[in-house]
Amino acid sequence: MSFALTLDPVLGHGLAASLALILLPGALHKLRDPALFQAAMEQYGLLPARWVPAAAWTLSLLELAAGLCLLPWPTRAVGALLALLVLSVASTAVAMAWQQGRRRIDCGCGAGVGLRLSPGLLWRNAVLLACALLTLLPLSARPVGWPDGLATCAVTLFSMGLYAVVNQLLANQPRLQELRNAP
Amino acid sequence: MTETLIISNILAWCAVIALVVAVLALSRQVGILYERIAPMGALMMDAGPAVGSAAPRLDVRSLNGELLHIGAPAARSTLLFFLSPTCPVCKKLLPILDAIRRDEAPWLQVVLASDGEQPEHEVFRQKAGLGHYPYLLSQELGMSFRIAKLPYAVLIDGQGVLRAKGLVNSREQIDSLFTASDLRVASVQDYIDQTQLNKEPA
Repeated sequence: MSFALTLDPVLGHGLAASLALILLPGALHKLRDPALFQAAMEQYGLLPARWVPAAAWTLSLLELAAGLCLLPWPTRAVGALLALLVLSVASTAVAMAWQQGRRRIDCGCGAGVGLRLSPGLLWRNAVLLACALLTLLPLSARPVGWPDGLATCAVTLFSMGLYAVVNQLLANQPRLQELRNAP
Repeated sequence: MTETLIISNILAWCAVIALVVAVLALSRQVGILYERIAPMGALMMDAGPAVGSAAPRLDVRSLNGELLHIGAPAARSTLLFFLSPTCPVCKKLLPILDAIRRDEAPWLQVVLASDGEQPEHEVFRQKAGLGHYPYLLSQELGMSFRIAKLPYAVLIDGQGVLRAKGLVNSREQIDSLFTASDLRVASVQDYIDQTQLNKEPA
């Protein structure tokens, strides 16, 4: 008996759409205000200042490409690989800066809320990396109908809402810490 | 039977998404509460000295040893720019601030202000080329103007009167402080509100 690891179409399409809709606004936010993203990147202190603009543009464009490629089925694998690359680079940078003691800097993720570096941010990225890995799996062959389309939309909406909640809670965390440590 | 399951599934999804939206709204509200009761902001988002009143008077020594009399009568107006080395928006505004410092030099002195560890600020000042500015490190200064968010700018005129203040994220917003000062209103938003009120029939 052969056993092939496959993903249900609802989960596969839902995950890909969620990842795309998480990456695209992030990329657009970075491309709309490149100076801000470059300033955020400089704070990480991992690259010489003259390399920062090129690195910032490359990362933003890769994120945009990942988001765009994840949506159509034929380019999904490329999109997933690009998403894995972008998320790995960003998470490594966060981990290194955190390790080097730069803990109060803005992550520059373009999440709409001011997110500081934190282990929670790394956990969030780990979940996104797992989602990107899952979208590389082939989809199981089963007949699909309109309820599947509806479920895919619901999964996408739910994961975007959950992502926004996680970002908001991560943004709240340092403020709560300051209050706890207040005299 | 299948139909019942599909309908109940749709309803369940609607409920789940509505709950996520509610949790998001709640977490945002919690975030706003944390912001309002932060130790620095101390329950007052905009309860610092009022525009049009005398600015708090403080004598603060800058990083290069010069003693500055904030709020005291002076030949030029002062733009106090509150920033932090860990704030990307502040960094983005530095070239704009540099242009303002050069263009408005005849009537305006730009002063940078922050608080925290001096070595960190010395490195930031050197790396960002801020040697031309008086750079103040004073928690008392931030407290007296009730600075809760950065970058924040305060405009004090030559008589020591606070002319305009606000959170600034762009050149337009810094310029709006000068406009508000010229119009003798607290902010450009206030001016718009006033003119709209005047236009409304009694």
